[in-house]
Amino acid sequence: MRNRNATAYRFLTPYLLIFAIFWVWPIISSFMISFQATRTVPWRFAPGFNWGRLIGDPAFFNALKNTLLILVIQVPAMIALAMLMAVLLNSPLLKARGLYRFAFFAPVVVGEVAYSAVFRLMFSLDFGIVNKLLNSIGLPKIDWFSNVTPAMALIMIAVTWRWAGYNAIILLAGMQSIPEDVYEAATLDRVSKLKQFFYITLPLLKPVIVFCAVLSIIGTMQLFTEPFLITERGGPGGGTETLGLLLYRQGFRSLNFGYASAVAYTMAGLAIAITLVQLWLTREPK
Amino acid sequence: MANVTLTNVAKRFGAFEVVHGANIDIRDGEFVVFVGPSGCGKSTLLRMIAGLEDISGGEIAIGGKVVNDVEPADRGIAMVFQSYALYPHMSVEQNLSFGLRMTGNPKADTDRRVKRAAEILRISELMERRPKKLSGGQRQRVAIGRAIVREPQVFLFDEPLSNLDAELRVQMRVEISRLHKELGTTMIYVTHDQTEAMTLADRIVVLRAGHVEQIGRPLDLYDNPDNIFVAGFVGSPRMNFIKAHIAGRDAKGVLVELAGEEKTRIVQPLAGPAPETGSTVIVGVRPEHFGGAGEGDADLTVAIDVVEHLGGTSFLYARTAHGEDVVIQRDAARVPQTSEVTVSIRKSYLFDEKGLRLR
Ligand SMILES: Nc1ncnc2c1ncn2[C@@H]1O[C@H](COP(=O)(O)OP(=O)(O)OP(=O)(O)O)[C@@H](O)[C@H]1O
Ligand SMILES: [Mg+2]
Repeated sequence: MRNRNATAYRFLTPYLLIFAIFWVWPIISSFMISFQATRTVPWRFAPGFNWGRLIGDPAFFNALKNTLLILVIQVPAMIALAMLMAVLLNSPLLKARGLYRFAFFAPVVVGEVAYSAVFRLMFSLDFGIVNKLLNSIGLPKIDWFSNVTPAMALIMIAVTWRWAGYNAIILLAGMQSIPEDVYEAATLDRVSKLKQFFYITLPLLKPVIVFCAVLSIIGTMQLFTEPFLITERGGPGGGTETLGLLLYRQGFRSLNFGYASAVAYTMAGLAIAITLVQLWLTREPK
Repeated sequence: MANVTLTNVAKRFGAFEVVHGANIDIRDGEFVVFVGPSGCGKSTLLRMIAGLEDISGGEIAIGGKVVNDVEPADRGIAMVFQSYALYPHMSVEQNLSFGLRMTGNPKADTDRRVKRAAEILRISELMERRPKKLSGGQRQRVAIGRAIVREPQVFLFDEPLSNLDAELRVQMRVEISRLHKELGTTMIYVTHDQTEAMTLADRIVVLRAGHVEQIGRPLDLYDNPDNIFVAGFVGSPRMNFIKAHIAGRDAKGVLVELAGEEKTRIVQPLAGPAPETGSTVIVGVRPEHFGGAGEGDADLTVAIDVVEHLGGTSFLYARTAHGEDVVIQRDAARVPQTSEVTVSIRKSYLFDEKGLRLR
């Protein structure tokens, strides 16, 4: 038995080595870098330098506020939407189910740059189809890119568009694992379809919903592409700058690796903390 | 309480017909068992009565009222599913009360019904548990309890015992029988196990490939099967079928000669028209209807392959000279030590080539 384990580990060695060098080491290293002042050459050890700056940095709090705002609005809205899509996909009345499933999932595989470009076009002030539609139903145009609130809304719409279908497919898989006869029993019990959804589907789907929420929280905490490409590096004036963007700005533009590492650890820490709270709130009663 | 009447009930899935015009009349308070091999349409029939499947043709009436277009919940039925179909995230108590709570039944009445069902099924101690933490038998009780709570006019059971082990199955069978006595409600019970059918039923409906083959009391089906299918299905081990032909007739009936056994002739009295001399027929003999040599109509010598001892009785697995397998039941004390034995046929049934009973 031991011998067989040893053989297995020998086969795994190349992978474990790569894992250690490119995964474990950077994690440890960046943790250490976050305690160094990296604006001076050579770097020197100064524990309070980055972390001290972090707790007093308005840019950090702006990014934190933006990230959390997106999180608390976009994640629940997206999961609710995904649930609706999953119910639709699961409905026996739906025709061309395969087509819808593909359409819902397609945004995930579309290139980020391409999709961002399309969004910029669709929401552009004078030529965008969205403003044209608003106009046609008698609403005023919105300048999506120069005002903070519409810009934030745009980011949330974009992220939701990209990931709702993905979550819907996961939820659909969960729904399909609930046995049909449970619903039949409820039907005989004179429980309406709507009540069946709230009292049977939702509770039984809870673990899957929590899974989707955790994935989405982690994803949103790291949000980068949309504010970088669609609202042009967190514009207008930092109004949509997220922690991911701040990290990028500090690390790759200012080459301030110490501070960037501190931000990165804060993001990871927050993601873990929020996820733990989430899991605790939705735990199975004993 | 109610009677259930099926008139020419048919079911098609697309162009594929799985139930072909079933006519079944179930009396108020009767315990009727639908029995038949896998895929014969038992569940489909039951689900049509419940309203979980549309009716493609014919009429179903419950309590004298046609229910073809009545919602399942309004048919006054309750169903126990093979897989139990309990709500996994609810306690036993919640499982029992869910339907009543959702429809705004007064709480005091709900509590009374749940308490009574729990007492009838002896699950009062399990009320706080989730289904996951129950044994198979306990889950089955909860599923039945959920049906009782609805106080239906008709109970429907779809193979409720097939997920239980043999011992528990016998125990639950007795309990379901007791339940029927206690409640006196009409019950329709689906199974593919003929023993369950024989022991539980007031009347049995034998189905095959979407056709009703015969309806009758358990012993009537056993003593007087209409065709070779019912004869083979009811009784365990199953009836032996031996090829034969009509050798002639005399005053008492037709003379039947077993294939390859010129000397073994059985006289069968027939009320209906007799088949022509020389035509092929099938003789059915139940294992328990073989006697010792000279004790019956005709003697037959068979070669013994295997003997199965069950204690009081034994079964001889043997072959006729013509190469046909037969099973013979014997008292353990009378099992021969030889490799050949001569037995007599004390009682037999005659079927024509198509499998219809000749009588
Ligand atoms: N939804 C369906 N679509 C198409 N065919 C079906 C459907 N449900 C059942 N059938 C067919 O109808 C026939 C009868 O099925 P049914 O489930 O009633 O059999 P059963 O007698 O209950 O068998 P078992 O003892 O295995 O439960 C089978 O041939 C089955 O393949
Ligand atoms: Mg079935």
